[in-house]
Amino acid sequence: MSDYNLIGKRMPRVDSRSKVTGKVRFTADLNLPGMLVGKVKRSPYAHARIVKIDTSKAKALPGVKAVVTGEDTEGVKWGVFAYTRDQQFIQMEKVRYIGDEVAGVAAVDEETALKALDLIEVEYEELPAVFDPLEAMASKGPLIHDDFPDNINVHVNIDTGSVDENFEKSHYIREDTFVAAEESYFQAEPYAVVARFDEEDCLEVWMPNGGPHMKSKPLSNAFKIPLHKVKVKKIAIGGAFGGRSEICPVDYICALLAKRTKAPVKIQFTREENTIATRQGHSMIVTHKTGVDKEGQVLARETTCYMDGGAYSSTGPIATSVPFLSMEQAYRMGSVRYNGYRIYTNKPIRGMIRVHGRAFACGVDTQLDMIADHLSIDPVEIRLKNSRQPGEYTSTKSQVSSCAMDETILKAVEKSKFKEKWGKLPAYHGIGIGTNSVQTGFPMGIRGGSQAFIKFNEDGEATVMSGVVDNGQGNDNMLVQIAAEELGLLPEDIHLVSADTETTSSDPGSYSQVSTFVGGQAVQVAAKNCKKRLFDVAAKILKVEPDTLAAKNRMIYVKDDPEKSIPIKKVVRIALLNFTSVNAQGGYWPKVDMKREWVSNPFGQMCEAFSFGTTIIEVKVDPDTGQVEVLEATAVQDVGKALNPLVLEGQFEGSIAMGGQANLTEYHDWKDGRVLNPTMLEYKLPLACDMPPKINNIIVESVDPKGPYGAKEAGMSIAMSAAQAYAAAVSNAIGVYLDSYPLTPDKILAAIKKKQEEEAKQGAKKARVN
Amino acid sequence: MRLPRFEYLEPDDLTQALDMLASHKEDVKIIAGGTDLLVRMKNQLLTPAFVMSMKQLSGLSYIKNHDDTLTIGAKTTLADIVDSDDIQEGYTALAQAAERVGAETIQHHRGTISGNILQDTRCIHYNQSRFHRSGRQPCHKDGGKICYARDEGDRCYSTYQGDMAPALIALEAKVVLSKKDGKRTINLSDLFTSDGFHPFSIEPDELLTEIILPKQKNNSKSAYQRLSYRSAIDYPITSAGVMINSKAEKIKKARIVVGSMSRAPLFMVKASETLAEKSLTDIDAFKEAAGIAMDNAGTFAVHNAGSTLEYRCDMTFVMVLKALEQAAGIEK
Amino acid sequence: MEKITITLNVNNESHEVLVAPNDTLLEVLRDQLDFTGSKESCGEGVCGSCTVHMDGKPVRACLTLALEAENIEIKTVEGLANGDELSPLQQSFIDHGAVQCGFCTPGMLMSADALLNNNRQPDEATVRKAISGNICRCTGYAKIVHAVAHAHNPHQGCCDCNHKE
Ligand SMILES: Cc1cc2nc3c(=O)[nH]c(=O)nc-3n(C[C@H](O)[C@H](O)[C@H](O)COP(=O)(O)OP(=O)(O)OC[C@H]3O[C@@H](n4cnc5c(N)ncnc54)[C@H](O)[C@@H]3O)c2cc1C
Ligand code: SF4
Ligand code: FES
Ligand code: FES
Repeated sequence: MSDYNLIGKRMPRVDSRSKVTGKVRFTADLNLPGMLVGKVKRSPYAHARIVKIDTSKAKALPGVKAVVTGEDTEGVKWGVFAYTRDQQFIQMEKVRYIGDEVAGVAAVDEETALKALDLIEVEYEELPAVFDPLEAMASKGPLIHDDFPDNINVHVNIDTGSVDENFEKSHYIREDTFVAAEESYFQAEPYAVVARFDEEDCLEVWMPNGGPHMKSKPLSNAFKIPLHKVKVKKIAIGGAFGGRSEICPVDYICALLAKRTKAPVKIQFTREENTIATRQGHSMIVTHKTGVDKEGQVLARETTCYMDGGAYSSTGPIATSVPFLSMEQAYRMGSVRYNGYRIYTNKPIRGMIRVHGRAFACGVDTQLDMIADHLSIDPVEIRLKNSRQPGEYTSTKSQVSSCAMDETILKAVEKSKFKEKWGKLPAYHGIGIGTNSVQTGFPMGIRGGSQAFIKFNEDGEATVMSGVVDNGQGNDNMLVQIAAEELGLLPEDIHLVSADTETTSSDPGSYSQVSTFVGGQAVQVAAKNCKKRLFDVAAKILKVEPDTLAAKNRMIYVKDDPEKSIPIKKVVRIALLNFTSVNAQGGYWPKVDMKREWVSNPFGQMCEAFSFGTTIIEVKVDPDTGQVEVLEATAVQDVGKALNPLVLEGQFEGSIAMGGQANLTEYHDWKDGRVLNPTMLEYKLPLACDMPPKINNIIVESVDPKGPYGAKEAGMSIAMSAAQAYAAAVSNAIGVYLDSYPLTPDKILAAIKKKQEEEAKQGAKKARVN
Repeated sequence: MRLPRFEYLEPDDLTQALDMLASHKEDVKIIAGGTDLLVRMKNQLLTPAFVMSMKQLSGLSYIKNHDDTLTIGAKTTLADIVDSDDIQEGYTALAQAAERVGAETIQHHRGTISGNILQDTRCIHYNQSRFHRSGRQPCHKDGGKICYARDEGDRCYSTYQGDMAPALIALEAKVVLSKKDGKRTINLSDLFTSDGFHPFSIEPDELLTEIILPKQKNNSKSAYQRLSYRSAIDYPITSAGVMINSKAEKIKKARIVVGSMSRAPLFMVKASETLAEKSLTDIDAFKEAAGIAMDNAGTFAVHNAGSTLEYRCDMTFVMVLKALEQAAGIEK
Repeated sequence: MEKITITLNVNNESHEVLVAPNDTLLEVLRDQLDFTGSKESCGEGVCGSCTVHMDGKPVRACLTLALEAENIEIKTVEGLANGDELSPLQQSFIDHGAVQCGFCTPGMLMSADALLNNNRQPDEATVRKAISGNICRCTGYAKIVHAVAHAHNPHQGCCDCNHKE
């Protein structure tokens, strides 16, 4: 292996010092001179027509600086896709869920702003509301958006052909339905926005985001100002997990209030607002029908999925596709037919989340276990029989280049001693396996690529500019690590300017698992270009050819004669004396099929790389309470190349929590469209004592030919496969295949009891026969 | 989240405190640790004109061992209770209950025993933000006329989810309620009204000043068990405090109290009585008692505290049984 | 409702502040004294991101009235380091990769610091219990647990224990 200085090393993150001292600023920590407090008036009804809004009393309250409603907007509807433009930033005619935005206020302090909200009088005419996707689809129900019949927001249909013939050929077919309630992000940082218009009438705005450029464009559209006048600024972000990628109406409302008041405005969400008025995960009902041959190889599968999308489209077409894609990437299928429906209901808006499609993914793996059971083969064997192999094409015609899925399975099996334990554990102990695959990137049209700039300063240190955002996963460190590696500098020599739309080029954002692959690669290319310029200058000084040089520890040296060297700083200064500065740019655009479209043409190269993950979980179930104790977790992922194992392990462990442990307790509970558990008191995020005491992290490196240093997506494959493995392990422990997620103790206990009753009946029958 | 406005009172001593209560009556709320009160105020479930702090009443923070009793000052923190050897040994159930409350960093250092006892009853439809509670009719506890937890419910069924009271009632605790000119000592169980709207019989001008635990004769052991979905930061969805008084391996007196299943902790008279004269190793007797406790508690509970009602009922049996086994010294 | 001037002792320095009775300690720390290290993630005592020490004990600043914090030694995350020199716990968090988004970190550090002040070499189970009032959404806690357990007690075989005790 090549000897990198930093790549592949356990490098502590460059951003952690400011985080452990409390100095780092998140959006809510900003305090600008003259700043006002903004608040949003939200609909308390799930579905209602707005008859009248009277803001006069609120406006008259001393201390109130502005009140805005839909009347103050251009009334434009926004959507991620041209065909999903269904959401106004402030509703004028109709509200569609409890929490929908109807007005905003800015005032001198929080108390005044809250009082002003109370003084805004909104007259509503309540409309019948619908909260169940299947009911919403039955055409007699109320229509939530007039132009979407049967409340079907998105229908994705994929058919590879030969499905029915292959079912005919199948040795064994089974059809099972799986359901999952919606889960939520619960990022530690509640959503917040600070906005102001500067002296040049540019909009400056800070907010947690999954890609600053995804925020600036809709804002520029909404205010009808050029893109260069919208400056989304860099700020520390307290988690995203897929939920902060798109524009949030409040970004616009905050900016509008700032415009009206000519003052900076800060809006800080309550925990409840973060739950109901950003995004949630989709709840879903999935039916998988699978036909296999005698060996357990999948010949045909038909999957129908109904997703509760809530009140607006959001990333609907993507959300409806991704669970299917993860399945088709992980497993070979002779043929497949998919019908995915995303349905509007009068509930909060659903988006992409780290475990996207619990019911879908857990269903695929649970059904595989059922089939294996029927065929008397073990869960490992059936997975290896169907697992993706390198070089193959997925059902929708994406070529998979690097792929070490089998290795992840085998390594996980070995480490967890699966073979020794499977079927041999004591009663109510169980072990289960889950495997999954996640795409590194989506086709994103003109936003698919990233461009980086690097300039050397006269002191020999470098400034790196990149559009990549860090939501907490460590992207800033990744960029610094790559730049320092390539330039031969130390991490502390790199100053990073990132995630700022004024100074950095467009970047796809962090939510399609593409930061390292695309944004990191852009920095790598830029750094290589920059290094070339350094070497050109250094070569002349050292009187050698540039390609004989290497850089390390702030020095440029001749590879074969390391004594022959010169400090980078000196090279930079000599270059300046020779009338050139050392800087460079570089970009990366993944070669995907630009004709691929989520609904109209779901075939073609999806992205350049796919990651593969396997998780094995061992549990003990208390048969009296149904509570689960997780004894050990083993997480193995093919990440292409581990740029920083320390950070990667953190992703794995976080995934075990948010993907796996969450599948035991996390779900939303409802009453007439109201979330009964909007805070983390009643929504059970796992705590330190809930987690398995031991997590084995194993990194597999298939070295992707296209990825930077061979790297691809990291972390999400573990989250997905962990959800599946938890389901499998609990099912194994109690001897019942569970089909409703999360696996709360009451469900587990009910399954245990039912089984005991059935066995008692069987026993009684047998006794009678005897 | 912003607290509503109020005037802050900080009496220097008990006399002054009782004077203040006497003059402000319903308009004043007492703040001990504040970890229950302030959350409710932030949600605007109550907006008192005055908040009276117990900060300076350091004389109310003690655990004292007497001949026949152990007395605990109202302001004693949960941490002090957990750390007390006297309580760990003589009143195990109380120490176990205190230890399981929320999480150390939430209320063990600031939260008090009196605040824990007098925390309000809870309901998933009621302990919500003002926004959540708007756009629909207020429920009984919120000053309205309907109940979201039970169809056609003509009163409030909010659940008492405090951890320490079930243990204390099992231990036959009494409480001292002081006011300007006098004080009364009542059984802790009588502090509870079983009215979800008004869960306590304490008067607005009274201050809970002391908890008295009798010393049990014979060999007395107690235990507390509770169930929640998470290891900490979680109110119980059912719980059981028990005390078993025995002589020569025979149970002389047992007290079973079930928590988090009703508007007040439920002292299970019938279930407790069935254990008299049973052997300390009679698991069947424990099961029978737990079954009776479960059946009785089940008639009170409504679906308003997370999980399903059926599950909470089933778990009541398990909690009572576990607590009895533990108190009887049966290792599992 | 009258505002009252009080003296708050934060990180060994006295600050005079004018507070309203309904100001929480968290609000005064963040909005008046610019100690924004303590975070508000829930505002109702659940998450632990606002954890500070009062007389050495970890408590929720969001459930403490500012007025009740008078005459009490308050320590926030900003008070952990000695000037530019990080405390062993802070350094251990960095070395063990215990920080991801960092939003829970200040509260986590304060809970852990309180533990280490009484027990310099806690085992992992003790650490888990001590931080069980702090929610972290990113890390799955494993690296945090290691960071705390190894803060004063570098473990042989731990590849992240570079720091010296
Ligand atoms: C996230 C979270 C989780 C929690 N989990 C639990 C749990 O698992 N179990 C549990 O039992 N509790 C739990 N609690 C509730 C609460 O923290 C504890 O019950 C705590 O012990 C309350 O004590 P306190 O001193 O803070 O009460 P306070 O909030 O100060 O007071 C509570 C009530 O008692 C009244 N009061 C207090 N002292 C007196 C007195 N001497 N005389 C008259 N009235 C008085 C107050 O006016 C108020 O109405 C939780 C709270 C939070 C925020
Ligand atoms: S039980 Fe009924 S009346 Fe009582 S708080 Fe709950 S919803 Fe309101
Ligand atoms: S903000 Fe104080 S506990 Fe969450
Ligand atoms: S590091 Fe993000 S919540 Fe803990």
